[in-house]
Amino acid sequence: MSAPQDSQVDRRSFLHRASALAAATAVGSVALPAVAHAAPARAGTAPLVDVPARSVDLSELTIAEAATLIRKGKLKPEQLVEVCLDRIKAFDPTYQAFNLVLADEALARARTLGRSRGGALHGIPLAIKDNYFTRGVTTTANSYLFADFVPSYDATAVRRLTAAGGIVLGKTQMGPLATTRATTPDGRITTVNAWTPGDPRVDPGGSSSGSATAVAARLATSSVGTQTGGSITAPSNAQNLTGLKPTMGRVSLHGIVPLSYTRDHPGPLARDAMDAAIMLTAMAGEDPEDPRTQGLPPVPDLITAATPVRRGPRVRARWRTRIGVIPGFTGGTSETAAARRTALEVLAGIEGLSVVDVSMPDEWDLLTGAAFNNVRLPERSEPFLPLLRSNLRGFGVSVTGWLQGALLGANEFLIGQRAKVVLLERVLEDLFEQCDVVVQTSPTPFDALGLPELALPIGFTAAGVPIGTILGGKPFGEDRLLAVGAAYQAVTDWHHRRPADPAAARIAPRSTATPDRGRITAEQVPDLMQ
Amino acid sequence: MSLSQPTDAELDVMIRSRLASIGIDLEQLPAGSTPDPETGSPGRDSVLASLRGFVRTTVLPLSSYTFATDARLAQQAAPPKLYPSIDVVRES
Repeated sequence: MSAPQDSQVDRRSFLHRASALAAATAVGSVALPAVAHAAPARAGTAPLVDVPARSVDLSELTIAEAATLIRKGKLKPEQLVEVCLDRIKAFDPTYQAFNLVLADEALARARTLGRSRGGALHGIPLAIKDNYFTRGVTTTANSYLFADFVPSYDATAVRRLTAAGGIVLGKTQMGPLATTRATTPDGRITTVNAWTPGDPRVDPGGSSSGSATAVAARLATSSVGTQTGGSITAPSNAQNLTGLKPTMGRVSLHGIVPLSYTRDHPGPLARDAMDAAIMLTAMAGEDPEDPRTQGLPPVPDLITAATPVRRGPRVRARWRTRIGVIPGFTGGTSETAAARRTALEVLAGIEGLSVVDVSMPDEWDLLTGAAFNNVRLPERSEPFLPLLRSNLRGFGVSVTGWLQGALLGANEFLIGQRAKVVLLERVLEDLFEQCDVVVQTSPTPFDALGLPELALPIGFTAAGVPIGTILGGKPFGEDRLLAVGAAYQAVTDWHHRRPADPAAARIAPRSTATPDRGRITAEQVPDLMQ
Repeated sequence: MSLSQPTDAELDVMIRSRLASIGIDLEQLPAGSTPDPETGSPGRDSVLASLRGFVRTTVLPLSSYTFATDARLAQQAAPPKLYPSIDVVRES
């Protein structure tokens, strides 16, 4: 397999190329560094994999495992959909991961698909966050403002997932307009963490919490969410999933209710690195409807990147990769710190991976802090101005963020955009001079820059709550991130663990299975919002 | 002479005026600090308190940021980009 895409398209190659051009002007000819692209993806295929005994429960299958069984004629898409629907019926009154289940439609689609050879997602039941447009199906973004909105077309990402054979099981609960954890628009908590179904105080993650719970609770095989701050990586970490927030532009935002034009990233919440690769391969690529996707590198072979490389019994890295460890990442005595230390030791033990301490660029804390993060807020208020004028209460508990955006002046907005360029230059030239990928303590800085992030499970607390970590990469470095994630998951088993079913919910009607879960107030939302 | 920072009352006037100038009327929200029982949207006093904090902790640090010691040279650096990761690749 050729070199990872991040080695070919980063800022440094641009700078080298620019200086080489200057030299050529001065002294004649000079060899320019190549700006090559990786080979196109094998978008239509999923790998054939061994299906281990632990996966006899169909609800636990990964995409790759289910696709293998379907292609071998050992599993019908209809069976897989029925398993998911049965679990939704039994347990979603407790989890409240879905706000709309398309049972009849999903079953009909599964029967239509049958065993015939299709795309990489042939017959795979998917949960779709409710800010993705679904043709003829209510798309509420979990807001009063979109309560009766029925789009006339699918979001590009949904269209591509279904074209690859995916089956839409339903739409998932989310934070109102993609802010905060999933609640009703007036703040009453809905979705719970699949690992703590009896304790709604445990955060299920960011606004894609319904998508995360659906997969973690085995109500769907995989799902998609959106991230504008941490809403793919945070719920993935909170619920033992592998989440991939791609580089801005890798996946079209056409047909997704915007929270921010420059910060929204669609991406998968999956069971392992391979499933994330299969999902992103289906979703990604240039879209005539979204200029943010155009003129960018082609999607590389993510599925091969996410395939572990073995030398005999040992796993080795696909590409030599330095994993940067930022100051304080393993500091302290918390369970998270201990899990991080162990994860780094595991990574360092894989041939081809090295773990290096890195220093942060100048002004890191200032430029990644709350004030500079808030430059995204006018992007909320501007498209919603007519509704802010006519229906302020319609924003429910999330209204303050929209009013904040309306207060930020153009000078501050431009300073924020310029500061992002300064920060990116420092990240590429200073931070990535020291490493190839870097661990994160917060998803926000790389989210603000549009850089890719991979969330991975690395352990559990003593109370049984998942602990995850985030790796950040260079622009369009998803293949390298997946390669590191796949190597780690080939030597660990955190990603195989599944939460116990909430037994009491099996026979309880929704009204008694969902006592008061508490409420998030409008005062709390600004501190929690994505 | 250094400027004194605006008082809460002055900020309230600024916030209400700015919002009113673009057609947003905070009177749509409930009076006081009690949230709307139907929608959960906050009361006007709560919103104003939050927005005053936003102006003080976000607007001031952003507007105070300087890119270089010489503002004449800073004008030549770091042109604003909405999508820096995309632009870097397109420049490559």
